[in-house]
Amino acid sequence: MSAAPLVAAGLLLGVLGATTAEAAGPLDERGAVKSVTCAACHGVGGNSRSAAMPIIAGLDAGYLKKQIEAYAAGKRLSAEMEPYAKQVLDLGVDDVVAYFAARRREPTPVTSPADAIARGSSAAAQCASCHGPRGQGDAAQGIPSLAGQAPGYLREQMLLFKAERRSPGDPAVGAVKAMLKAIPDDTFADLAAYYSSLR
Amino acid sequence: MGALSRRRFLTVSGLGLGALAGGGLAGCAASMKGDFAPKSGPRVVVIGGGWGGATAAKYVRLLDPGVEVILIEPGRRFVSCPFSNLVVAGVRTIDSLTMGYDGLRQRGVRIIHETASAIEPDTKRVRLGEGYLQYDRLLVSPGVDFQWEQVEGLAQNQETILHAWKAGPQTVQLAQQLAAMPDGGVFVLSIPLAAYRCPPGPYERTSLVAWYLKANKPRAKLIVLDANPNIISKTALFRAAWQAYPNIDYRPASRVIGVDPGAREVRTEFDRVRYDVLNLIPPQRAGAIAVQADLVGGDKRWCEVNHVTYESVKQPGIHVIGDATIGLPVPKSGNVANAMGKIAAASVVSLINGKQPPTLAPGNTCYSWVSDREAIAVVNAYKIDNGKVVQIEQKLTPAQSPLVAQRAVGWAQSIWADVLS
Repeated sequence: MSAAPLVAAGLLLGVLGATTAEAAGPLDERGAVKSVTCAACHGVGGNSRSAAMPIIAGLDAGYLKKQIEAYAAGKRLSAEMEPYAKQVLDLGVDDVVAYFAARRREPTPVTSPADAIARGSSAAAQCASCHGPRGQGDAAQGIPSLAGQAPGYLREQMLLFKAERRSPGDPAVGAVKAMLKAIPDDTFADLAAYYSSLR
Repeated sequence: MGALSRRRFLTVSGLGLGALAGGGLAGCAASMKGDFAPKSGPRVVVIGGGWGGATAAKYVRLLDPGVEVILIEPGRRFVSCPFSNLVVAGVRTIDSLTMGYDGLRQRGVRIIHETASAIEPDTKRVRLGEGYLQYDRLLVSPGVDFQWEQVEGLAQNQETILHAWKAGPQTVQLAQQLAAMPDGGVFVLSIPLAAYRCPPGPYERTSLVAWYLKANKPRAKLIVLDANPNIISKTALFRAAWQAYPNIDYRPASRVIGVDPGAREVRTEFDRVRYDVLNLIPPQRAGAIAVQADLVGGDKRWCEVNHVTYESVKQPGIHVIGDATIGLPVPKSGNVANAMGKIAAASVVSLINGKQPPTLAPGNTCYSWVSDREAIAVVNAYKIDNGKVVQIEQKLTPAQSPLVAQRAVGWAQSIWADVLS
C-alpha cells in the first residue's frame, strides 16, 4: 500500500480537526460534534468558502463568544443568527468557540478586481489604527482580524454599522460607527475587497 | 471512537480506500449477485444520495474513517431543489444546480448508482439487482414519492403533467412551458395539503412565476389553487412580496381533485379552472423503499423516528432522515435533512463504537426568492428536551432585500459543499 491512502485518511480526520489522531476521534472533541450544524453556512471547520458567510475558523474565542451572546440577546440583529446563537448557548458556547478558535483559518477563495483592492488599500488607512496595518486585529482589545475574511460579509457589516443595525447603542463600537458614517457606501465594497485579499 | 486504535484506523481506512481505488464495486446490475461485496469490518449502508443521505455518508466517514460507507443512489448527478424555482423563472440554469458525487468518493464513500429494491431488517440486508449488501447500521434517506391516485386523471398523465418538485428535467420543462405560454395565458399552480416537501417552496414559485410574467407577459395571469387554508410559511413576507404582483390570483382552501389534460382544465371541490400551463404539485409520502420496508406509520405516508438517533420506531438498526420523517417540529427542508444527516451519522458512529449517541438537535435556515434579486428567510433553532426535539426559536427576516438574497447565495454555496465535498 502506498503512502497516499494514509495521507488521505489523515486529511479526513484533519478536516473535523481531532487535535490528536492517536486515540481521540472527532466524536471525543465536544466542540466538533456540537458545531456540526454551523457547517451548513460557515463551512466545515468554520472555513466558509462563499462571499456572504463569514469565516469563523481561527477567530479569537473571546471575540466569538461575545458575538454569539450579542446575537442571542438581540444586540447584534440577525434573523439568521439569533436562533442559532441560542442553540449554541444551549449546547455550551465555550466548547463551540474553543473548537472554532483552534481551527486553522483558510483565507477566502473569493477574489476581487485589482482596481477595487487598490482603492480599498488607499481608503483603509483610517481603519489601520484599530485593525492593524495588515488587518490582523488585536485579540486582547476584542478587535477582530479582517484579513482574508469573506468580502460580502465585510461589506454587509459596514453597512449594518453605518445604519445602526449592528449593536445599536453599544459604546464599544461607537468609534467605528462614527468613522463608517463618514464613508460613502460605494467605498465599503472597495474596503471589503482589500481586506479580503490580505493574507 | 476512543476505542479505535491508530493501527485499526489506518488499516481499516487503508483497506476501504484501496478497495475503492481497485473499483471493487462497479455498480453494474449484472455483477450484483448474492453477497456481491462481502463485509470485512463495520459497515454503514446509506440509501438515497440527496441532502440527507449524501451528508450522512460523508459525515460517517469524517467521524470514523474505520467505518465502511456504501451509498446507494440511482442518480449520477445531484440536482439541488433549493434555488430550482430560479430555473423555472429563467434566472439560473439547471447546470448551476447540478453537482457530482466525486467529493464523497474522495472521502472514501463507495457509491452504487442503482435503486435498492428491498430492505430485509431481520438479516440486515439491502437488496440490489439479484444480490444484496450486508450492513451493521442502515441509514435511509428516501425523500418523497407522489400520491398520483389522490388526483383523478393524474396517474395516467404523470409524465406530461409537470410537478417540477424534484429538481431535474421537469424543472427545465416547466421553465420552457412558462416561456412559451402566450401573453394573456393562464398559468395554474396547484399546492397540496401539508405535509409536503419544502413548505414555502410553492409560494416562492408563485413569486418567481409572477415576477417572470410581470416582466415578460404583462397580460398573463397566475392562478394559485392552494389546498391549505392560507400560505403556510413566511405568510406575511410572501403577502408583502405579492403586493408587487397583481397578476397573482391566490385561492386558498382550493384542493385540486381532478385534472383533464384534453380540456386543459383542473377541478377543485367547487370549481373548474382552465389553464394554458399547469404545474400540479401532487400530495406526497415517504419514498417507496420506506413503504416497502414498513418504516411508515399507520397512514402509510411518513416515518416516525427517535428524536436523538433517528432510529426508526418500527425497525431497529434502521435510521431514517430527511423529508420522509414525521413527528419532529421541523419543516421538510434541505437544511433540516442536512442537519439530520450529520446528527444521524454521529449517532450511528457512536452506536457502532459502543458509545452513547450525542444529544444534538437540527436547525433550519430557509431562504425564499421573491424576485430575481430579493429574498426572505425563516430560521428555526431546536434543542433536545426529555429526548424530544423542541423549538427554541423561529425568526423571520424583517423584510425582503438584496442583502438577504446575497446571504441566500452564500448559504447555498456553503451547504452544497457541506453535503457533497
